[in-house]
Amino acid sequence: MNKFLRTLLPADIAKGLSVTGKHFRQVFFTANRRKVPFHIVSEYPEVPAKVQPRFRGRLTMLKDEQGVIKCVCCLACEKICPTQVITIEKGKQEGRKMPYPVRYDFEMERCIFCEFCVESCGFDAIILNHQFELAAYNREDFSLGTEGLGQNMFEPSHVGKFSVADD
Amino acid sequence: MFKNEEMEINLGPQHPSTHGVLRVKLRLDGETVTHCRPMIGYLHRGVEKICENQSFFQGQVWTDRMDYCSAVANNLGWAEANEKLLGITVPRRAQYIRTLLNEFNRIASHLIWLGTHAMDIGALTVFLYAFREREDVLDINEAFCGSRLTTTAFRIGGLREDLPPGFEKMVRKFLAKFSDCLEEYEALLTENRIWKKRTIGVARLSAEDAIALGVTGPMLRAAGVAYDIRKAFPYAAYEEMDFEVPTRTEADTYARYQVRMAEMRQSARIIQQCMDGMPEGPVMAKLPKILRSEVNEVYHATESPKGEIGYYLVGEKGSLNPYRFHVRAPGFINLQSLPKMAEGGLIADVVAAIGSLDIVLGEIDR
Repeated sequence: MNKFLRTLLPADIAKGLSVTGKHFRQVFFTANRRKVPFHIVSEYPEVPAKVQPRFRGRLTMLKDEQGVIKCVCCLACEKICPTQVITIEKGKQEGRKMPYPVRYDFEMERCIFCEFCVESCGFDAIILNHQFELAAYNREDFSLGTEGLGQNMFEPSHVGKFSVADD
Repeated sequence: MFKNEEMEINLGPQHPSTHGVLRVKLRLDGETVTHCRPMIGYLHRGVEKICENQSFFQGQVWTDRMDYCSAVANNLGWAEANEKLLGITVPRRAQYIRTLLNEFNRIASHLIWLGTHAMDIGALTVFLYAFREREDVLDINEAFCGSRLTTTAFRIGGLREDLPPGFEKMVRKFLAKFSDCLEEYEALLTENRIWKKRTIGVARLSAEDAIALGVTGPMLRAAGVAYDIRKAFPYAAYEEMDFEVPTRTEADTYARYQVRMAEMRQSARIIQQCMDGMPEGPVMAKLPKILRSEVNEVYHATESPKGEIGYYLVGEKGSLNPYRFHVRAPGFINLQSLPKMAEGGLIADVVAAIGSLDIVLGEIDR
């Protein structure tokens, strides 16, 4: 009998519904208003997503103030890379004591973004930037090097759909 | 007119409730399961063999990718096993930060379990709320090590970097709201009659069977055995932490739910203690330039959110990479108990049984 009465009074379900109702109320009265602290959904492609300062994005090579590549071909990054995505070819340049990377190939399609290469670099010649929109239509777009237009190791990648400014 | 014969069906490999690519071969008599065999191996990548061919330092990235829901716990086990093998002592501050992140990972892993398990059984709302809090934990991961899921959080000998600025604020903000969030989930599930009917008495696994099969983690604790490696064989900074090991005796799906909910509360307690008692000092031990093994073999077990994750490393003295590497994956061993739980029950309860196992196929197949 007692059990039957409890079936008539669904207190447990009302308790659960009150939680849903509380959240519905919060969202319903503040819908489409930005800067509401408990809104966790962001309008991502329109509003760029924020990443933390330590975010591990695409590998990028750095140049010093004179515009010279900082890399001196010590091959530390090539050795430590767990997936062997970096290939460096040593070379000489006029007026430069240190070796110069003739080729610095980076196969992004196999990169696992672990940042071991940056950690191993003793010359601060490479960093991982904050770019995460790295999709591309062609396989060749994932092969990055020191030369080429746009798709090289120095500039942000242009292949991500939302990283291009709408024009 | 009707023939009374058994029917064989496949649950998966692409079934949404199998959390990956698990295929379960079922033989059914009407709706009753008479025979159940899990088939694994669809996600095999040869992690153990890859690690044998790489240096001790490089191996860590593969442990992230085994159990991707609890990557930090896997990293911790790998790092500590290697420190044993290489004879390195880790600074105290690094131990505390490791403990802190490991507990955050436990919360994240249990939240993903709670959301998906409730969704399998039919309560969709919890999924959305659980993933909202998981997002905060992933943000904390990202702030610390730069990645949300495949963290590569620790290094052999300590940590790569100290805590970032603003980290403590993020943690305190999370802790302040987390107990309310847990109450929210419990308001949705604990008393709910549908949830109770779908879980109480379902997929029982007695303590004797669990021990015989080698089941560990919340599965074992729900059967009444208070075995937790954090208490039994303390590692990292767990010796200095004050926490309880929640147990239940019912050994059914509902008991496992209660154990995991209680564990999340304990994890929040440990995080609070880590934050309050965080010692100062370096976070990285002095390491030789080239890591060479000091002893011949080592087995190190830690308590991952799923159970005991053990790393077995064999390295000849002075070698640069492990000669043999084996992982005692908790999911792989817990999955053995599925036939025991499912046989004799209904086919709908197989889904509840798989959900309560909390398996990740990346770890089972490795």
